[in-house]
Amino acid sequence: MLEAFTEFFRQMAEEYPRWNFIFFYDERQWNRIVSGMKYTLILSVACVIFSVIIGVVGAWLQGSSNAWVRRSVQGYIQFFRNTPPFVQLLFFYFALGQFTPTILGDDGWTEYPIISNVGWAIISLSFFAGAFNVEIFRSGIEAVPESTREAASSLGFSRLQTYTEVVLPLAFRVSLPALNNNLVNLVKTTTQAIGIAVPELLYESVGIWNDFPSAQYPTMLLLFVAFILLVGILVYGMHRWERAMKIPGYGN
Amino acid sequence: MFQNKIPGITTKPDTDLPVLKPFKARAAGEADDLLFSRWLASIPIYAWFIGMAIILLWPSLAFAANGYGYTEAFQALIKWIPFIVTSGFLFNILISFFAMLIGTIAGIILGLMQISPNSVIRVPAQIITQTFRNSPWLVLLFIVLLALPFEVEVGGVTFRIPDWMKAVFGLCLPIMANIAEIVRGAVQSVPSGQWEASESLAFSRQQTLWQIILPQCFKRMIPPWMNWYAILTMATPLCSLLGVEEIITLSRQAIEAENNRPELLVPFYGFALFIFFAYCYPIARATIALERRYSVKL
Amino acid sequence: MLKKLITKTLATASAFSIMVASAHAACTNDVWNKVMERGKVVVGVKADYKPWGFRDASGAIVGMEIDIAQAMADAMGVELETVAVQSSNRMQFLEQGKTDMFIATMSDREDRRKIVGITSPPYYTSGTNIMAPKALGFKSWEDLRGKDVCGKQGAFYNQVVTNRYGVNVVAFTGNAEAKQALRDKKCVAWVYDDSSIGSDLASGEFDQFEMPLASEDDNPWGLAVPIAERDCVFGNFMSGLIFNMHQTGQLIELEKKWGIQPTKYLVDQKDKYADWLAK
Repeated sequence: MLEAFTEFFRQMAEEYPRWNFIFFYDERQWNRIVSGMKYTLILSVACVIFSVIIGVVGAWLQGSSNAWVRRSVQGYIQFFRNTPPFVQLLFFYFALGQFTPTILGDDGWTEYPIISNVGWAIISLSFFAGAFNVEIFRSGIEAVPESTREAASSLGFSRLQTYTEVVLPLAFRVSLPALNNNLVNLVKTTTQAIGIAVPELLYESVGIWNDFPSAQYPTMLLLFVAFILLVGILVYGMHRWERAMKIPGYGN
Repeated sequence: MFQNKIPGITTKPDTDLPVLKPFKARAAGEADDLLFSRWLASIPIYAWFIGMAIILLWPSLAFAANGYGYTEAFQALIKWIPFIVTSGFLFNILISFFAMLIGTIAGIILGLMQISPNSVIRVPAQIITQTFRNSPWLVLLFIVLLALPFEVEVGGVTFRIPDWMKAVFGLCLPIMANIAEIVRGAVQSVPSGQWEASESLAFSRQQTLWQIILPQCFKRMIPPWMNWYAILTMATPLCSLLGVEEIITLSRQAIEAENNRPELLVPFYGFALFIFFAYCYPIARATIALERRYSVKL
Repeated sequence: MLKKLITKTLATASAFSIMVASAHAACTNDVWNKVMERGKVVVGVKADYKPWGFRDASGAIVGMEIDIAQAMADAMGVELETVAVQSSNRMQFLEQGKTDMFIATMSDREDRRKIVGITSPPYYTSGTNIMAPKALGFKSWEDLRGKDVCGKQGAFYNQVVTNRYGVNVVAFTGNAEAKQALRDKKCVAWVYDDSSIGSDLASGEFDQFEMPLASEDDNPWGLAVPIAERDCVFGNFMSGLIFNMHQTGQLIELEKKWGIQPTKYLVDQKDKYADWLAK
């Protein structure tokens, strides 16, 4: 079965020199695609998780009584929301990367940065999406009326307990649609990590069609379909979750 | 589902949920599309000069040890600025202008197709919109720039498509999808009373749309449209990954011609950032002013 | 069963079409004629590979390859127009007709010969080598096994080096970024053409670095004309021009003019093609 599959594409490559689906019959190229897909998924999952955490923490800090804390959170949001994520990636990797602590390698010269380029991509993209998430959670928190908060406080909940047990669950359900929009955007933005040589799907695809010019059209097709599928699955899953978590009678 | 058994209260509750205030999405794409412009417009103008001064001081602070230093990096930048701006940034502006133009026209058509009652028109339009909204911009750029032919023959006349024009087609696709969403959202936000009133006055669907609904929507669509223009302009540097001659590509070539000194990275990219902000800032101010003038009270 | 039938039909159809096509491989010299009529030749060159092709402050592209292109244009009696190309698009531009030919630091490879018309003899050569810090003292390619090495996207030897020595190539989109990553010690070496590395080391900016290994895969560079014209006027003209430039030593002079490390290759070629009467 698999033999027939690979044979078919090998034949097609010979007959149609521009439609060389090399990754379907060449083991090495297939591994590249799989590796690229793996890194895209790693980036997406890690960034989604971290950006949500940053959003939750940032939204809590924004309600702090200390003006400096509030201002620094505001500054962080403004910077990350309004500079292009591509430039943020370059800046993090090249400029900030110079100042991170490094571990001296066995050879006595190489400094292995504690944070690799994949690490910087995750950090940069998480902060990028996190900035939007802070605002989204903030709007969700503000949808919870003061009376609910006061009621919790009168029952002896501390500020932290109110936040985690009462306010956040409600705010989360309310902000879910906006959050989904942001997370889908985040998955699309992971392609820009190609600028700092993170071996995700776009990077591997470009590598394949640079090494095998005849495989250019098939690889582009695969890339397009892969991303449509990935984003489509995410959107569908988020939609189902949204519907399950929807507060009946709220909104329209 | 939720029992409201508070002792002493006998009246029925209006809802069986604690009342929540409406969700004022401040960063979501749908509800308030103007965050970018609003923030940009709120920056006082002196902040830009302070920022530039810091960027120019960086070479001297970080590389004080080396002989090269700040003056030479700055001089190198000054030498290359005319070339980078006239042959580079000009194309960023051209790309953003044409991508917006074509994207808007296509987006309006697509948006109107999406609200058509005829499902043969509506469903493909929805599929196209969702496809292009959900594709990464960089992947679309790669595909369009590498697959689109360089010459098109239309009725015996060959049109040359320069590289930056291909970038225009690549970028106008997601813009078209987003403008379609703006149009659809704007039309759907007009109260249904307007549709019913025009129906009662014997307007056909076409007439209602063009003479009553769209004129109301038009002014409301301008601020989010300008917001997308600013976002698009900030996204044009992505074309540099494909060799289109725009500001980042030319900055890279200039750095290479200056022997790749690492001290040059920050001034050159800092300048690129600065010139983008200098372009987007007046647009952001204009957007906010327009929004205030045209906020329709219905 | 159905698949076999489809494949067979397609195979017959394409075989037939190939037969038909090869019967009409006579020279039509379209691009050559177009250039002559127009009085201008559009040449694709690099603008970010100093000193073979780079920008000067006015924005014009200058360099050794541009000088070769100028010599070509002078011999043809037409004007020269240069277009900046990159490794990722130089062949596509030629195919699409955006450029009439290109001289863009491209290595002559079998699969590239199928797409563009690379002429012989080659005008330059380079091997793969690395720029590594002196402190690390690499002695052989095997020392790089399993290590991170910075490279440039699109270079053919990235794959070769990976397969042969198990090196992990981290490919950046631009030379500037890759060399910056090397300086930041994010990788142990920078793999590229030995000619470019030699040029960088000679510029004095990279004093703590060296080019320690023996160059591998010495691969001549090929300029290219459209594939249909390789065996026609344009291809033959370029072959002759490069042959003459070797014989007269013009290429060696250009090499000196642009401060490129002198290579044994050009000296050998000059001897090989020497005019028998001049001996």
